[in-house]
Amino acid sequence: MSSFLLIELLVYIILAVTAGIMLLFSPKIRMYARMRATPIIVGIVIYVLIRLAIMGLMSLESFYRKLTIATMPVQLLMVSLNAIIFVYMYMIFMKGGFSKLSSKTQIRGELVNVKWSDVIGMENVKAEAKEVVELIKDRARVKKIGGKILRGILMMGPPGCGKTYLAKAIATETGLPFISMSGSEFVEIFVGVGAARVRALFKKARELAYGNGGCIVFIDELDAIARKRVFSVFGGTEETNSTQNQLLAEMDGLQEKEDKTGEAKPEMNVIVIGATNAPEDTLDRAMLRPGRFDRKLYIDLPNLDDREKLFAFYLGKLKYDPSIDFARLARKSVYKSPADIENIVKEAALISTRDKRDMITLGDISEAMERIDLGLKHKLNMPLSEKKMTAYHEAGHLMALYLLHPTRDVFKASIIPRRGTLGVVHSQPTAEFHSANKEMLMADIKSKLAGYVAEKIGFNTTSSGVSEDFKQAMNIAHNMVWMLGMGGNNYLGDYTAIPPAQLSEKLKEDLNEETGKIFQSCLKSVEELLTKERPILDRFAKELIEKEELDYDEIDAIFKEYGKFGSMDAEKDRWRK
Amino acid sequence: MGRIKGLVLLFPALALFASVSLSGCGETYPKEKVNESVVKICKDEYNVDVKVESVGKTMAIYLPLEDLMDFTFSINKDASEKINDVILSVARVVLSTDADFNYYCVIAHDVRIPEIQIVIIKSVEDVKRLLLNDISRGEYSKRVLIDLRLNPQSQKERSVRDVFSKMSLDEKWQEQMMNDFFRAEPTGLGDIGYWGGKFYIKDVTKPEFLAEQMASRIKMDFKEAKALADAFTLKAAKGSYVASPEGNKYFKLEVLAEPKWFKDTTMSEASDKLFRAVLEIAGVVAHSYGFDDFGYVEIVDQAGVKTIRVPKDDLEKLRTRKIKYEDLPAMAQA
Repeated sequence: MSSFLLIELLVYIILAVTAGIMLLFSPKIRMYARMRATPIIVGIVIYVLIRLAIMGLMSLESFYRKLTIATMPVQLLMVSLNAIIFVYMYMIFMKGGFSKLSSKTQIRGELVNVKWSDVIGMENVKAEAKEVVELIKDRARVKKIGGKILRGILMMGPPGCGKTYLAKAIATETGLPFISMSGSEFVEIFVGVGAARVRALFKKARELAYGNGGCIVFIDELDAIARKRVFSVFGGTEETNSTQNQLLAEMDGLQEKEDKTGEAKPEMNVIVIGATNAPEDTLDRAMLRPGRFDRKLYIDLPNLDDREKLFAFYLGKLKYDPSIDFARLARKSVYKSPADIENIVKEAALISTRDKRDMITLGDISEAMERIDLGLKHKLNMPLSEKKMTAYHEAGHLMALYLLHPTRDVFKASIIPRRGTLGVVHSQPTAEFHSANKEMLMADIKSKLAGYVAEKIGFNTTSSGVSEDFKQAMNIAHNMVWMLGMGGNNYLGDYTAIPPAQLSEKLKEDLNEETGKIFQSCLKSVEELLTKERPILDRFAKELIEKEELDYDEIDAIFKEYGKFGSMDAEKDRWRK
Repeated sequence: MGRIKGLVLLFPALALFASVSLSGCGETYPKEKVNESVVKICKDEYNVDVKVESVGKTMAIYLPLEDLMDFTFSINKDASEKINDVILSVARVVLSTDADFNYYCVIAHDVRIPEIQIVIIKSVEDVKRLLLNDISRGEYSKRVLIDLRLNPQSQKERSVRDVFSKMSLDEKWQEQMMNDFFRAEPTGLGDIGYWGGKFYIKDVTKPEFLAEQMASRIKMDFKEAKALADAFTLKAAKGSYVASPEGNKYFKLEVLAEPKWFKDTTMSEASDKLFRAVLEIAGVVAHSYGFDDFGYVEIVDQAGVKTIRVPKDDLEKLRTRKIKYEDLPAMAQA
């Protein structure tokens, strides 16, 4: 036996030396080896393993050898069974499905049934989308004038702004089949499954395009597979990379084939619409270059007019009190997305049903908004002294917001506990502001500090309820001085960009002193206001203790009573404009 | 290129085929060298000298040891390890040979007192079943026959030599007479041993192995099971398989167990208790080996002077609790 092993070893050495010489001197064999490096290495490893297994078995006595061989098929079967069970369970519980695409992902365009008229607001985007539809429909005309056919459209913007809705509208208007998938459906722990799904998706899209003249592939949450690729030697993110590479290759493939034939084949008429909430700079640059996602549509939050239309649209589907003022609702719902507005209307319908009313009232909508924005009310046994303190605290906020803030409207004040707070003053911006100036930030600080001041005026002491207000106020003041150049003494620039160790102690002291000055000046201003308007403060506190909640109209009525109603209107109008 | 590729692929395929065919199919210990193999393994791996002889499907191994036991007849730890080493070596050989062995027995004795021998008899099938986890280690240990005994041949020869010396026979005649009249092959498992440089072994058969095992289990249970140990003092238990010229085949189990607390129980009750226990053992042994070449089991209670015969079918029903001992037909009790 040992002589056989020796001969075998000798032959291996001869083979290895021969192979080495051939690799060294024959470029053809070198090329062959390079081209088939993986199968050759895998083959050698498998051979060595089999040979070692045989050697191991040879060293056993015949009984144990037979025993081992006899149990091998069972072991193989068990290992295979375990693997199958594991993969099956994984696919079931993790909602995968290998590369197979669910039949639910494919929808016929006309069945989507979302018309342009259903897409409320976003007129600019809609105009662009209409143009895209025309381009998709009339590819021949585009080709004729030498124009580039659209391959992909990327919709970006905050969540709930109607990206999916717009994609559906595009599908309806073009009448093309619509395959909808989420980016997360391509992400799997099994390497290659994501890429296989992309291949399967485009294969299906081409088949549908062949029969229908075109097909729209909609990939929601595109950022799941279109994030910047990471090239790591450890291969930790290889699965996402390979999925993205496959998507790029498929989109390129569509382009190349078309360019070669000159005439667009129907099966090549596949348009990819991607949607993402992620900022553009987080996406891979290769995805964004022309030829992939040629057209980018930015879908923002709706403006005042759009929100008014959205309320009218969603309420139009239900029975509602005709006295509801949509413009007022729109003002009350600044920074709300269409999905938020739909949710508010749905919630209002539920409240109206619960209260056995046959139509939605303004009160239902207000309650729905509060539920969504402020959270559900919950009962808390509070001593009267704490209730009074809370009432003064909230009354302070209310008055500062109403009488000092140029860009916020107060809609509600409450001392009913919600989401861990004992009370709340609900205010909304008067318009969509995308930045803040010094006056607005100072007003923010004042309105935060007003709770503390009111407590002090009312009871000559203060509570722990001011901690969050102080934190926020101090943060704003700090940022004003350290980052925004809004402090005094010409301290301009963003000092947070400099490592703290490189700032002199003197400078830090000066900046902090400036922060303190802002803080103190705001505090003084609020103290003056609330001391001067003490009767109004007491009145609001009393009303809150009695009623626990004060609505927009009640608040206005009290201010009107003291001749303060609309005192900031001119200022607010100025800012709004 | 194709030819080179073919050659490159051919060699590994041939090497695999050759290694499998050269080594994968053959038995490790061919039957022609099976006895030598045991001797060689014991010598090479454990430095123990043994003698081996086979008869039929039984292999016997003689292991002389120094300091096998002390004056209390308890076995020395080193000697015990050597016995285990030899048992393991024999097991390796009998499992990996093309020779057909059903049993093997290891005969060990202390060279200072060769008359006292330890005889261990094992079934090869039991060893295989243990390795395949088909039986537990506890069950396996119950299936091994271990006997510390005075060598029957030595007893016989000592008595005969006394007679010879009285007759003043010379040494040569003594040996001649001994060979011609007093040295014979053993007829039962109890006669197996090694004496005077000669193996006294026989081919172990399944029924006699089972009969001996039943007796061995009776001894074990009456000593270790509290209910039985409290009720009886076992003096002797003997098992045999009888195949009469009339064609009757049966297990005969003779038990001499004196009941304790005789005042509280009648002799008849004690006998019933003994019969119940012995029948249970007999049923388990016959069933676990799938042995059915017997008509009945005869149990002799030598203390109570009572004998019962239980047919094979009833024995199985008793084992499976389909009938109770009390339900046995009266005729079964002789």
